[in-house]
This record gives sequence, structure tokens and C-alpha cells, in this order.
Amino acid sequence: MQVYLPIAEMSVNAFLLMGIGFGVGWLSGLFGVGGGFLLTPSLLLLGVPAPVAVASGANQVLGASVSGLIAQWRRGNVDWVMGIVLVVGGLIGSAIGTQFFAWLRTLGLVDAVVAIFYIVVLGSLGSLMVMESVRAILRRRASVPRRLHQHFWMHGLPLKLRFRKSRLFISVIPPALVGVVIGLLSAVMGVGGGFMLVPAMIYLIGMPTSVVIGTSLFQIVCVTAGVTVLASVQMGSVDIVLTLLLLIGGVVGAQFGAALGGRLRGEETRFLLGLLVLAVALLLGWGLVEAPDRLFSLSFDK
Amino acid sequence: MRRLLLALMLFWALPVAAQTPPGEPRVVLPLDPPLAAARPAAAPESPLIAHLSQASAEISTTFSGSSIFVFGTSAVPLGLDGGDIVVVVRGPTDAVTVRRKVRVLGMWFNGPSTRFENVPGFYGVAGTMPAWHVLPEDLRRRYGIGLDALEFQRSGASSGNFREALEELHREQQLWLEDSAPVRVEGNRLFYVRLPLPATVPAGRYGVEVMLVRNQQVIAHQELAFAVERVGTAATIADVSRERPLLYGVMCVLLAAVAGWLGSVLFRRG
Repeated sequence: MQVYLPIAEMSVNAFLLMGIGFGVGWLSGLFGVGGGFLLTPSLLLLGVPAPVAVASGANQVLGASVSGLIAQWRRGNVDWVMGIVLVVGGLIGSAIGTQFFAWLRTLGLVDAVVAIFYIVVLGSLGSLMVMESVRAILRRRASVPRRLHQHFWMHGLPLKLRFRKSRLFISVIPPALVGVVIGLLSAVMGVGGGFMLVPAMIYLIGMPTSVVIGTSLFQIVCVTAGVTVLASVQMGSVDIVLTLLLLIGGVVGAQFGAALGGRLRGEETRFLLGLLVLAVALLLGWGLVEAPDRLFSLSFDK
Repeated sequence: MRRLLLALMLFWALPVAAQTPPGEPRVVLPLDPPLAAARPAAAPESPLIAHLSQASAEISTTFSGSSIFVFGTSAVPLGLDGGDIVVVVRGPTDAVTVRRKVRVLGMWFNGPSTRFENVPGFYGVAGTMPAWHVLPEDLRRRYGIGLDALEFQRSGASSGNFREALEELHREQQLWLEDSAPVRVEGNRLFYVRLPLPATVPAGRYGVEVMLVRNQQVIAHQELAFAVERVGTAATIADVSRERPLLYGVMCVLLAAVAGWLGSVLFRRG
């Protein structure tokens, strides 16, 4: 069934979009991440223009994260104070990111820069995850104890604030900076940033794992909402038909993925996710290095 | 109050309705000089009458391309030793930037670019014979008949094959067509051609020019028009996004949130 996407101005098979949504939703349910890092590249491969893919991808991640946030909130696993600090940083970051994106578009460099962002971020993150999980799997065998909480230079910064739920008394600067970076990446890559935020919260900020997922979902929902509105105002590039079709497949896929994810060990999941992230980075890298089929491309100034 | 308004409207409308009954051709009375003068009676009958199958093509949510059917008759016999028909369809114009990829540090990036003004988003030419065959070169270029006769104001990088790339990329997407299907002729008089409009055609006003050519000269021509319009949900979405971007963005946020929440509620047990 062909469906005309009114903003992307192209006709796409609706079942193909729902299928992509399902696949991405399945993987995100399995690994507990939003899946935006898989979604936006898939849309680009389909021929959806980069601004539309990024904006609609962010909008889809928003929808996919809402139900998770509600569930975590009911269980009291959201640190609202930390969430608000992250969101303020995130909104600043996404405002900068959207401006940066609009500027890139006038230069015609959007596709290349989006691809490079993906390669650098996914490549380094994927390698880190694979290494960390391999070490964890080995450590499990050797059963070496690990320190719970570490103190370093970061804890000497001013503007300290008490985060009750996270049982932390730290400066607001590190979480705000983490928020800015995630917001920027979110605007440029069309991702929620959960796959970067969760490790940053555990390893950089030192939050307890129990509140990490809920708080990161809160940040993701707020930042993707910000990106959606900003992209709509700045570039008019949010395609709601595309978003909703992806969401239909996504919410179903996520339930199946989550069911399977419950049966895997934490380190094994992280290892597989790391491999997947690396594979996406390599694929995109190849696309940039490989001699293009066409040297020329058109862009319409609206 | 409403009834009074209605009566007033009827009072105004009645005399007008009496002059021109809706849906019927205007009746011209022989003793009415202003109306008689308005009729183009003195002009000689054109040897060419052309028409379109429809006044509009609609882009709906299930749009996957359409076509426009041009037909008509000629007073001059068509075919060998007779006249020829050339049909040109021009879509709405827009500025287009053509970019060329260059290799930097082993990676391919968009490099030099050229901007072309007033590029038709759709252009189709068809004829009983190719236009270059029946029209002299200077005339064909002056009327802009044929893809190589399209000329644009350009700015930016001047070297390189940007003009060729512009043509090739449009041809690939079936947005520019040259002699993709010939104009067919029945009984030396009736002609017709169907030009396909792909799913990516831009919305807007389209002009159709039908020309009757004989002895390397355009002896008659007729201008027709149709519109490609977004309709239904697709049109509403595109309009709201363009005119009320803030409202549209907020709506997208709310819709996605509700859809995500609803979906998880519906499928949780499944």
C-alpha cells in the first residue's frame, strides 16, 4: 500500500515503514534504548531527505519513549531534579544543534555531516561497549570485586545541588553539560540519545542504576519534543504521517523485544548492542568512502 | 434575522441569475450590442482545437503518480506531407541548486554548486515527430521546445557539467520527458497523447502548449492549463506545517505521545 508523505513529498510503501518501525522497536525493546540511531539511517537509505528523517525520527523516539516514562514514573524511578537539570542543558544543546543543522543545509553538507556524526559517535561508543562487556564477562568468570563509587576532579566543581532520588550531592555543571551534548547530538542525528545518556549517567555522574532509565527517558521525551518543535518552526521538516507509521510498528516490536530481552544477561545484551552499534557505524562509514554512483545531486530551495 | 438576510441575498441574486442562468451558456440576443461585441465572431476559425482530459490532478494521501491526457483535432491533415502536432507541458518553476561531490581525505562531500533560477519542476514534450525534426533550430530554441532548448539564469560554479547533470537528474526521476511517447493520430485529424506524471511531481499550475506545425512553421497554437493540487489530509498537513509551524510542531509532539502511550497500552498483554 503506497502512502504519500506530505512533508517528505514522496510516496512510500506503508508496510515497509511499519516493518522498519517494528524492527527498530524490537531491537530497542531488546536493548532498552530508543532506537533512533537505527531509525534515522534506515530512513536515509529509503531516500527520505535528511532534514525530514532527522526531525521525524526524533518525533518517533518521543512517542516510543512516552510509555516507558509513564511506567518508570509509576514505580517512582524518576529523579525529577536531575531530569530538569539535564533537560535545561538538553534544550540549549538542541537549540544550538538545530541552528547548526539549518546552517549545514544551506551549505549542502547535511548528509555528510550527519553521517560523520554517526560514524564518530557510534564507532567510539560501540567499541567502548564491546570492550566493557567483554571485560565484564571475563570479570564474572574471575569474580573480581569492583568499587561502587569513585571520586575524581569532577566532584570539586561549584554550584552543588542535592539530588535526593539519586542520593548525590554534586555540582550541576557536569549533568548540565551532559544534557547540552546529548541535546546537540539529538538535533543533528535525530536520536533521543538514550544509548549515550545511560552510560554517561552511570559512569560520569555516578547515579544509581535504578533511577537511570526513568530519568533518561524523561530527558529523552523532553529533548525530542524540543527538537520536533524547533525543526518544525525552523525548517518545516516534521512528517507526522511518517512518524505515526513508524510508531505503529515500533510499539508492537518493542513489546516482543522486551520479552526476549528479559531472558538475556546484562553483559551479553551490552555486547550484542555494542556489535550492532559498530555495524551501523561501519556501514555508514563505507557509504562515505565508497565512490558515489552519482557525482551530482539536486536540492530545491523553498 | 437569518431569513431576512436570505431574502436580501435572493433579491440580489435574482436579476443576475436571470441574465446568466448557472451552468448554461450565455444567450446572446441579436439586439444587445455590448454582448454581441464581446463575442469573438470576427476571428477566423482556428485550424487547431485541443483539450485536456481533466482540469486537475490531485495529490491525496494515497497518490502514486497520475497522467494528463491531451487530445484534439486539426483542420490540416496530419501525418506525412501534412501537419505535425507538438505538445509541451510546463510545471511550476523553482530555484534548484546542483551540487557536485568531491573527494576530501578519502571521503566524498558535496563541493562546488550552481544555482539555476526558474527551473520547471515538470517538463514534458511530445510530438507526432520529434520537435527538432519538424521545427528549425532557431525557432525551437526561441520557444523553448525540447530539453536542450531550456535556458536558465545561473549563478555559482560555471565550469563542470552542471547543466547536463540538472537535465539527467530530472530525466531519471521522470520529471523531464522528451518524446517518451509519440502523439498518436487517428484518421489524419484526431490526435492524442498521454503524459505520465510521476509521484514526485510538484504541486502548482501547469501550462500545456499545443502547436500545429506545417512546413517548418507554427501555424496555430493553443494554451491550456491544469493544476496539480494536494487534497485531503496530505494538503491539510502540508498547509498547517507551512503556515502554522509552531502549532504543527506542538501537535506532532502531542500526537506522537498519545500514539506511543495508546500503542503500549493496547499491545502490553499481547
